[in-house]
Amino acid sequence: MMLRFETHKIIGGIRQGLGRVEYRVGLFVIIPAVVMVFLILVKLGYTLASSTMDVYVKVNSITSLKKGTPVQIKGYRLGRVVDIRPVFKPALHFLATLRISRDIELYEDCAAVITNQNVIGDPVVELRNPETKGFFLREGDVIEGIESGSIEDITAKVNILLTEAAAIMTVYREVSQESRQDIRRLVTGLADSVANVNAIIQNSQKDILDIIGSMRRTSQTLDEVSAEIKKHPMKFLFQGKGEK
Amino acid sequence: MMDDERKTTPSGGSVAAYVGAPLLRVWRGTVDFAAYVVSIVLSFRSLRFIRLRSISATILTQTRFTGIDALPFVIVIAVLVGGVVIIQGMTNLPRFGIEGYFSNLMVIIIARELGPLVTALIVITRSGTAIATEIATQKWSREILALEIAGIDPRLYIVIPRIVAFSLSIFSLIIFFDTAAFLGGYLISLATLYMPVGAFFGNLSQAFSMKDLLATIVKSMMFGVLIPLISYYYGMMPRSKSEIPIYVSRAVSRTLFTIIVLNVLVSALLYFSWLE
Repeated sequence: MMLRFETHKIIGGIRQGLGRVEYRVGLFVIIPAVVMVFLILVKLGYTLASSTMDVYVKVNSITSLKKGTPVQIKGYRLGRVVDIRPVFKPALHFLATLRISRDIELYEDCAAVITNQNVIGDPVVELRNPETKGFFLREGDVIEGIESGSIEDITAKVNILLTEAAAIMTVYREVSQESRQDIRRLVTGLADSVANVNAIIQNSQKDILDIIGSMRRTSQTLDEVSAEIKKHPMKFLFQGKGEK
Repeated sequence: MMDDERKTTPSGGSVAAYVGAPLLRVWRGTVDFAAYVVSIVLSFRSLRFIRLRSISATILTQTRFTGIDALPFVIVIAVLVGGVVIIQGMTNLPRFGIEGYFSNLMVIIIARELGPLVTALIVITRSGTAIATEIATQKWSREILALEIAGIDPRLYIVIPRIVAFSLSIFSLIIFFDTAAFLGGYLISLATLYMPVGAFFGNLSQAFSMKDLLATIVKSMMFGVLIPLISYYYGMMPRSKSEIPIYVSRAVSRTLFTIIVLNVLVSALLYFSWLE
């Protein structure tokens, strides 16, 4: 009861105070002056901010990103993701708020690669500074997020690959079943052809031996004739003529 | 006959008179105004005889009328101006691929130029006319004469509190104008483009330079001094009741002209690279 009475008195006092021109004019002058002094101090390099700053990462999908995801640069932990919110305009995308320390100099053209720490590890936001140094990354800046090598993506891609391989195997099996009869017919034909060739070879084997014997005899006769010519060339020439 | 010919076909001398007469009027007016300003400055010597309590009521009343009472009007105008700038920026900047310079555009257009100028125009139309009319009426009803007879310097008693009140009011109104224009612009931009509040105002504070802050202070002080000075000067001019509207109108037009010219001069001095 006493507290309520005091509160009522305080509120009444404030109302009475704000009703006076002096208070209203005072507020009217002091608020802009404070804003101006604050801006001048910020421009002079003073900051009221803590050792951390909030920057935003723009990503198309948050499949591998969640609150608490660590943020690092070259393996050095800088901070974590503190908030993720959808943005519907101009097209659906997401803005992840990174609360990072000011220890490391980052530049406004840096990239945020969302990757995995290892094959089965948790996702991590890896910040990468640009090769050419520009302006420093500041509180409230927006970084383009790049999704790279997430386990889910890899699994999905492997799944697609296996499905395609299974489809190829099915087609191959169907093709081989259809052509089996043709192959069998071909093999039978080939066997018949080989048998025929063998029969031909067997049949002609005796004739070949006779031919070879005849050729051998012919060559012996030719040897004898050549030996006779060598011994008595003139006699061979003229005897033959006279006998005739 | 001769007189008619002179009127229709001006000779060399009459042409010079046509050009020279207004120039002389401007020159005499400038000299007269300069003498008036010097008399105001010289009256500062009597400042020690005036108690702060006697002029503080006038300062408070003038600040309330010039600043607080004009605040809703200034905020509405600022939101509309901020919206217009944002709409133009959103439709035109992406064509050039520079939509990232949204905040810089707002600072350049609103904080540097439109904020001080529009605020000054509002103050001139509301309070400048009021001062000129009030002074003219007081002169006509011999209240000014009564002050002089009582040994009170009217320039010190009337002008100084108004200069202080106008300077404070215009400075505060410019800050409120800029804030309302940025907020209004941001809210309107949400219709087509999402930007986090932190990112928007972070970029905005980064886009501000010390020159912009200096320009705001310089312009508000300059306008705060000039508007009551010129209004008081023309308020003291009427010799009869019927001349009051003429000189009030003249006070408004001359103050507007002076403010716009000085705004350009200050901007040129602060932002032209060849002057750095």
